[in-house]
Amino acid sequence: MFLNTREGLALALPAAFFSLLLFLVPVGILLSEAFQSDTGWTLSGYTDFFAKPLNQVVFFRTLKLGVLVAGTAAVIGYAAAFCIVNLGPTARGRVFGLVVLPLMISPVARTYAWIVILGRTGIVNDAIVGLGLSETPIRLLFTETAVFLGLLQLFMPLMIISLVSAMENIPRDVIPAARVLGASWLQVFVRVILPLTKEGLVIGGTLVFTGALTAYITPAILGGSKVLMLETLLYQRVNVANDFVSASVIAMILMVMSFSANLLLKRIASARR
Amino acid sequence: MRNLANWLILGLTLTFLIGPFLIIIFAGASAGQSLAFPPDGLSLKWYAKVFTVESFRASFMLSMFLAVFGTLTALILGIPAAYALNRYKLPGDETIRTIVAAPIIVPGIIVGLALLRYLVVPLDFTVTMALFMAHTALVLPYAVRVVSSSLHNLRADMEEAAVLLGCSRLQAFMKVVLPNIRGGVLAAFILGFVTSFNQVPVSLFLSGPGVRTLPIDMLAYMEITYDPSVAALSAMLAFMSLAIVFAAERLLGFSRYV
Repeated sequence: MFLNTREGLALALPAAFFSLLLFLVPVGILLSEAFQSDTGWTLSGYTDFFAKPLNQVVFFRTLKLGVLVAGTAAVIGYAAAFCIVNLGPTARGRVFGLVVLPLMISPVARTYAWIVILGRTGIVNDAIVGLGLSETPIRLLFTETAVFLGLLQLFMPLMIISLVSAMENIPRDVIPAARVLGASWLQVFVRVILPLTKEGLVIGGTLVFTGALTAYITPAILGGSKVLMLETLLYQRVNVANDFVSASVIAMILMVMSFSANLLLKRIASARR
Repeated sequence: MRNLANWLILGLTLTFLIGPFLIIIFAGASAGQSLAFPPDGLSLKWYAKVFTVESFRASFMLSMFLAVFGTLTALILGIPAAYALNRYKLPGDETIRTIVAAPIIVPGIIVGLALLRYLVVPLDFTVTMALFMAHTALVLPYAVRVVSSSLHNLRADMEEAAVLLGCSRLQAFMKVVLPNIRGGVLAAFILGFVTSFNQVPVSLFLSGPGVRTLPIDMLAYMEITYDPSVAALSAMLAFMSLAIVFAAERLLGFSRYV
């Protein structure tokens, strides 16, 4: 540990100033824009925004999809993480590698695949028409389901990674011990696994929920203007209507939602025993 | 029985995660005119076509430039910062940490819009310049964090010994610290490169005539036509990212650092 403070600051401050001036200050000004009017400070940007039915629909849809994606990712994530932890060391490394692999691939590529799967002439529609379930192809793209699937596929690896590293820390004998003492699998999960992995769940949940809220590509490609989410709405307001007040409001909503999700999950995690 | 159920769950999960990527590879290798799976016959013509699209070439170069130089700049700023945060007792070091980490927390689309409104328009920055800064700031948190964790594992008394034996502080850093953290630096570079190259929301508003990053250009191309060339391009980009990561893993055990 060196005590020369001036030297230390000289090394650390360029990075801090870079982030501050080129990042935080512009973002701060953008966020403040909705509070300003010709006559002074105002909240009318916010009241106007929430007065419009479309904006309400988009707000609640974004919230709902975020919760659904994070929740589903948690359920599948627990099952997958449990299986991964139970594998031998070699297989565990390989499967874990396959889970991480999609994170290295461009989200555009990963989302694009769903067009091939869900499009009018896609795999699912071919199967539906081929099996005679429907005469004509069904609209699967530009639905909430499509956006949900795309987001789930995009962010589930983050949940699995968080849960695997949390589960690796569970002492090996604890689960068999609970079983021997008569706990059902449900009880084992609720009273042993869940409390011991709650930190992983908080990290994974925050990452997936925030990721789903702030994803642009997936709602843009798979939802289009039929299934707007807050990000795509923001883009539309700016590009179509030059409406920077709405953009500023949406920006604030996104940031507040991300932060409160993290706080809420932390609260829940620390409330239990 | 337990084993079977285990593999069934993993198989389904991995199919969901990896399957779409496999579909992309084959959809791009179609001999037909439109995007379909299974493809109408196999050919590499769409893979070849990608190289003839002028805008893809330009945007690929821009994305490469941003990813390489943005990440290098982030490292030049981030290594000293990580070093100072690890080795010095600084007033307000928590604040510095928070400020440097902030770009991860702020949604990218907001950053792009903010830079467009308050740097490009009033201060006459070029779009390329703003993109460069946004990508640098975006990678900075990763650079500081990854380099910090490898500095954390390096004992400080090694450089103290170097100084006692007559090195200047700078020499001690260059000769003792840097060689010992080079794995972490390379890992930070790769992580930064992949993050920057695949980044979309930040670049969404920051594009001008002829200035588009590759992912934005792909989105624009998809709006015009659904031909399989975007699938082919996506597959090639994915292979590029994977090749880089695998090479890094082989060379220095990349995953230890991330």
